[in-house]
Amino acid sequence: MSMIDVSHLGFSYSEGEVLRNLSFQVGRGFFLTIAGPNGSGKSTLLNLLSGQLRAGSGSIRIDGAEVESYSTASLAKKVSVVRQEFVPVFGFSVLETVLMARVPYYGQLGFETKHDRDIANDALEATETIRLARRQLGQISGGERQRVFIARALAQDTPVLLLDEPTSFLDLHHQVRIYDLLKKMQIEKAKTIVAVTHDINLAAQYCDELLLLATDGNCYKGTGRDVLGPETIEKVFGVTGFAGRIGTEKFFLPLGEFSRDRPNRMS
Amino acid sequence: MTKTVTPGKLLLKVAVGFVLLLAVMMLCALVGTQKISLANVFAGPGGHIDYIIFVRVRLARAVLAATVGAALACAGVVFQGLLRNPLADPYILGISSGAGLGAVIAVISGFSWTLWGRSPIAVFAFAGALGTVWLVWLIGRLAGRSNVTSLLLAGVVVNAFFSAIIMFLTSIAKSDQVFSTIFWLMGNMTEEQFHVLWLSGGFVIAGVIALFYISPQLNVISFGEGDARSMGVNTMAVQTIAFAVAAAITAVAVSLSGLIGFVGLIVPHGVRLVFGPDHRQLLPLSAIVGAIFLVVCDTAARIVVAPAQLPVGVVTAIVGGPFFLVLLIRHARKVGWLVK
Repeated sequence: MSMIDVSHLGFSYSEGEVLRNLSFQVGRGFFLTIAGPNGSGKSTLLNLLSGQLRAGSGSIRIDGAEVESYSTASLAKKVSVVRQEFVPVFGFSVLETVLMARVPYYGQLGFETKHDRDIANDALEATETIRLARRQLGQISGGERQRVFIARALAQDTPVLLLDEPTSFLDLHHQVRIYDLLKKMQIEKAKTIVAVTHDINLAAQYCDELLLLATDGNCYKGTGRDVLGPETIEKVFGVTGFAGRIGTEKFFLPLGEFSRDRPNRMS
Repeated sequence: MTKTVTPGKLLLKVAVGFVLLLAVMMLCALVGTQKISLANVFAGPGGHIDYIIFVRVRLARAVLAATVGAALACAGVVFQGLLRNPLADPYILGISSGAGLGAVIAVISGFSWTLWGRSPIAVFAFAGALGTVWLVWLIGRLAGRSNVTSLLLAGVVVNAFFSAIIMFLTSIAKSDQVFSTIFWLMGNMTEEQFHVLWLSGGFVIAGVIALFYISPQLNVISFGEGDARSMGVNTMAVQTIAFAVAAAITAVAVSLSGLIGFVGLIVPHGVRLVFGPDHRQLLPLSAIVGAIFLVVCDTAARIVVAPAQLPVGVVTAIVGGPFFLVLLIRHARKVGWLVK
């Protein structure tokens, strides 16, 4: 049985339809990335998977049960979410932030147990943020902060990890480190990972499969080698460019009207 | 560098704070226009006039100030956390204008009855405060998806509308009525009967305990509702309880003393800067610091222009304003929300 089972999913905002008749499965311990142009419903899909939105039609099953059938607390034991990196209003420390994932497990008095502290420590170790434990979230770099939010998701101790553009504001070094970390979590902790991203090339190096959502409601799912061809990319993103191969994996560099190496440029 | 809160350390801080509060109340009760001696006070009831001044008048007033200060500071913490807005204070969701409107209506209609020893102004202010928060909450809910923003907007609009009605009513009122309205709006302490103190003090303490009970969830909610839900917090329930309790203790404070500004804004900030943002610690310590702050300010209000008295709201604003500016400048670099 797959960990996530989406069937005939549809969703509309009052402004219009975003997802139509979408079906796919994510196996246990699988790493799926979702990509697509703006407005193709990537974030909506993530919000549906995490139970923040209710499906308009069709169904989402997580670990065998409908998302709607979970209470907020019980869904939080199945699915953890890493949203886009941000600085919270008040100056919580890194350790305090990671411990918050344990709040549903706190006792009557509202304090963490030794067990909760151990779990938070393990999460900080795994994400290599333990040395930042006492720093404030606002005082560390964006890349470090993103690792802290991943640590918080790990401390939630869920089989499924959802991420919304985990690398969008990070430099190249931190992008690679985040993907290495995610891969490590997939291998060592058997996490099922679903990440929304714009960086299809990097994602192709790490994930098992990509799901490309197009704005016209079509979708393409497969390995990087299957879906990163120039024809599919043009259909989904409406852009042409240079499609190549590094070793085993493909990559795609988009080129526009004024880019120097545009293939049919007249000059 | 911040340390995480543990039950033992928190209990110690609360105990120390409480002893400090009692000491401050005793000291402040000894100060005043009429000199009193401690020996006479300890002679006990019926012994000396000093005992009556100390217990019945000054200590009673200090208890009142402590109650109001604790309530406003805690409500400030809750509103700042829930709205994720460091500039929020207990009055932000229209409580001030609602209570003000209630008070003005009571003054103008010239009622002279009392309810459980409370004047019509207090009763109307209490009802006005709660009614307004309920109205704002309802509008915020109807307005839709982004809960926090619509609540803030609803609060601003209701505040503006009720303030307009207050101005209208004041402009047609008689001059002595205008004076008592303005006096009330500035915020004042008066000597109250003991049963009022017991009742309101107990109510505020119960409120603070209830808020402490949901404080771990308040921590999570300050990261946003979406994050809180995906971490297993029932945000709707927590927000409803927090808003209701914070509004109720603010309404109690307002009905006791009128509109005292700044306490609910600067005390939470000061405590947060020193002890960190963890609500489990922030709430009880803000209650104690708020109580101490208002007891001291009220003593100043009693003695600065003695034998006359200042409205305590004037003292808190004069002390609080510059203090807040200093905080803002000194910590602008440290505090994330000021540097975007």
